[in-house]
Amino acid sequence: MNRRDFLKLTGLVATSAALASCNPTIFQRAAGSPSLSAWGPLHPADFRALNRLTFGPRPEERARFAQIGLQGWVEEQLAFESVDDFACNLRLKSFDTLNMKAHELADMSDKIFDDVDQQTVPDELRQATLVRQVYSRRQLFEVMAEFWSDHFNIATVKGNCFYLKTVDDREVIRRNALGSFRDLLWASAHSPAMLTYLDNQVNHSGAPNENYARELMELHTLGVHGGYSQRDVMELARCLTGWTVKEHFWTGDFSFDDGVHDTGAKLVLGARIPSGGQDEAESVIETLSKHPSTAQFIATKLARRFLADPPPAAIVERAAKTFLQTNGDIRAMLRVIMLDGMPLAVARYKRPVHFVAGALRMLNADTDGGPAVQEYLLRMGQRAFGWPTPDGYPDHDAAWQGNLMPPWQFAFALVRNELAETSIDVNGLREISGAKTLPETIDAAASLLLGAPLAPAQRNEWIAAARAAGATEDETTAILLAGILASPVFQWR
Amino acid sequence: MLTSVLPRLAFAPAKLSPRGDVLVVIFLRGAADMLNVVVPHGEDAYYALRPTLGIPRPDDKNAKVEERTIDLDGFFGFHPTLRPLLPIWQEKQLAIIHACGAPDESRSHFKSMELMERGVDDEKGPASGWIGRHLATLNTGNHSPLRAVGMGTLPQRSLSGSVPVSALRSIADFHLGGDARAVAQMRSALNTIYNGDALGQETLNIMDILQKLDPSQSINSQYPASDFGLALRQTAMLIKAEVGLEVSAIDLGGWDTHFAQGGSTGQMAGLLADLSAGLAAFHADIAAHLGHVTVVAMSEFGRRAAENGSLGTDHGHGSMMMVLGGHVQGGKIHGNWPGLRDGQLIGPGDLAVTTDYRDVLGEICLKRLNNAALGEIFPGYQPVPVGMMAGR
Repeated sequence: MNRRDFLKLTGLVATSAALASCNPTIFQRAAGSPSLSAWGPLHPADFRALNRLTFGPRPEERARFAQIGLQGWVEEQLAFESVDDFACNLRLKSFDTLNMKAHELADMSDKIFDDVDQQTVPDELRQATLVRQVYSRRQLFEVMAEFWSDHFNIATVKGNCFYLKTVDDREVIRRNALGSFRDLLWASAHSPAMLTYLDNQVNHSGAPNENYARELMELHTLGVHGGYSQRDVMELARCLTGWTVKEHFWTGDFSFDDGVHDTGAKLVLGARIPSGGQDEAESVIETLSKHPSTAQFIATKLARRFLADPPPAAIVERAAKTFLQTNGDIRAMLRVIMLDGMPLAVARYKRPVHFVAGALRMLNADTDGGPAVQEYLLRMGQRAFGWPTPDGYPDHDAAWQGNLMPPWQFAFALVRNELAETSIDVNGLREISGAKTLPETIDAAASLLLGAPLAPAQRNEWIAAARAAGATEDETTAILLAGILASPVFQWR
Repeated sequence: MLTSVLPRLAFAPAKLSPRGDVLVVIFLRGAADMLNVVVPHGEDAYYALRPTLGIPRPDDKNAKVEERTIDLDGFFGFHPTLRPLLPIWQEKQLAIIHACGAPDESRSHFKSMELMERGVDDEKGPASGWIGRHLATLNTGNHSPLRAVGMGTLPQRSLSGSVPVSALRSIADFHLGGDARAVAQMRSALNTIYNGDALGQETLNIMDILQKLDPSQSINSQYPASDFGLALRQTAMLIKAEVGLEVSAIDLGGWDTHFAQGGSTGQMAGLLADLSAGLAAFHADIAAHLGHVTVVAMSEFGRRAAENGSLGTDHGHGSMMMVLGGHVQGGKIHGNWPGLRDGQLIGPGDLAVTTDYRDVLGEICLKRLNNAALGEIFPGYQPVPVGMMAGR
């Protein structure tokens, strides 16, 4: 795709670009804004740890980590409320829909004389999500927000999820990302987006709809081997009859409709559920939130994301125990996984969001997170809130490994500044690194992106390859900067 | 340098054998409601179980003609949106295997897809996919980087194995954009950077091959303007260009119709229209190559025989498979029909499985792909031929 195509593409989507006209120096002056500093090589274990706790470390994050160590870094990030995020928030100012209520989002999307606008709200959420991933200093919070967005996956293409997901993102995922799993599960179960996505808004007495009940146990809590039966699915579905979404007045809010609730007795996971309206499913949710299978399932998924696939069993056991002891305290589990588990971490393939956000972060890009970058996330297969099925984007290395062309294209376009509303300053980076010669420049670039320079023989081989194709010194810098982003090593974290 | 860590298995050396058909595997994700695709209109129980979702009988005078089942054999019939497939059925190039599926009764999409794409009975089986093991056990002397492709952005689970397979979303986009000078430099750098990396080299080679194809080259038929239509169109393009394609895996999602599934029209009818228009266009487009192409369409399980309270259907068991190609014993419903009456349904009221999906796939491997290594492709299972394919 050439520059003209990109411009055409961006012309079609009107939401972006709001901040592009702002002078980047505003952000540099703002408190806590990213300021580019020199970087040196980092111990591979530290680089790996930072690559798990962030979407790809910026130079100043490397410096901070070197100062306070893994434990200090984890504690600082877990206390996210005290991490200043002014600069990121400034970039989010133009996204009006992020803080709107469900009925306001419904109103603004309904164009009355035209069709309902199902693009503006979800596009803005996607754009804001990437802006946060790139610019928020609360990186662990953002990593966890992405984790829970997969765990409680909702695709914006399903019915009214196109606007309800914005509310779910704010009130369910982000409100509880580092809180307690019980509260997160509770909020998700009462989330109109989730009830819509998994068809519970039409779950009625006499003819229940099993969709949400099944995924609540299979995907959100117990896991497929967690010890529930088809009978439990059907009984929980009966408990959930009447859990629905308001269609008039306060459109898009949760509501419990007594009139379609099945009042008969139920038996879920061996426990008799007395007739009690909305309390019935809520009591099952309490049970599920404390269940040993849930602890095991959540601990396994977290350890897989942060450490290794398959995850180290001893750490999973310890994290699951912590879950049960703390009533699902997410921070307590993360401490076990990060502090006890990090030495056991092995290479994991980057998912596209990590690849894209990481490249933008490490190269100190100025980006609006808009259509040009979103197009590449789509081509790579990980457009936010776009995975159609309720299991969320896969978290297995093999799932992502067969699609190299889009990351190559992205690397090439980014370095050549061909992405609309996204730019990097290669000369600025070189000046700050202090590199004088071409080999020094390539070493500095590898240090920035991979944590350490390439072996000299390999670096010289790469330089020779660009030269053999007739590249000048400046062209070689650009090609190899793109080459490092495109390289196998950069695809792993 | 790290390289791909795809699951590997110790195999006997791949058997040398000439290439068989091009295999196109279409996975309908979300558990398609096959009882409403190939409709058992001869079963009274079907209409009792589906008072609102049932597709009207072929002679139902109360329904509009275009909303009635299209009769095939007096008992089964096509959903009306499958009309474009009727000529292919009549030419006997399309076979139906009804009430087939997998033994797993978890009714979980994700477990069922995982097991089915791996071709195994439980999670302890090999981690690679059944197509991956087919490729690994058959040396066709074909070293094309396009030997197998996964249409879309993530290669399908079924393709994973020791033979690297690339995803292909769009032939038109599969290149580096920019001025020729910079592209040549990047190409050269990537070649060195990916020296010794199988998937990287494959991607570079695919780029070179696809660059020579003209994506706007004339096509012989009208595909639907959907991702599915594009995937089939590109598959046909690769077949006609003779670039070494042996397997193309294609997904069509959206079949998890718990709510507002619709009957002769509506949500699922829209998906079926995409499926049938796509298949019909593909069939016409590759008419000259049909003798060495086999298409199979499948889904992870079927849906509950009775409709639910929200004009949809919940997760069930028995499904259906469709096989299309030049050597199909078509125009026939294969398999044993277990029936929809009380005592015939299983579990919470689901169609029973009378043909294992591996019987269908195994017969295709054996008769059309020249691969007899069924013990490795489907470990722990001995496929029983269904009889829906002619041999080579």
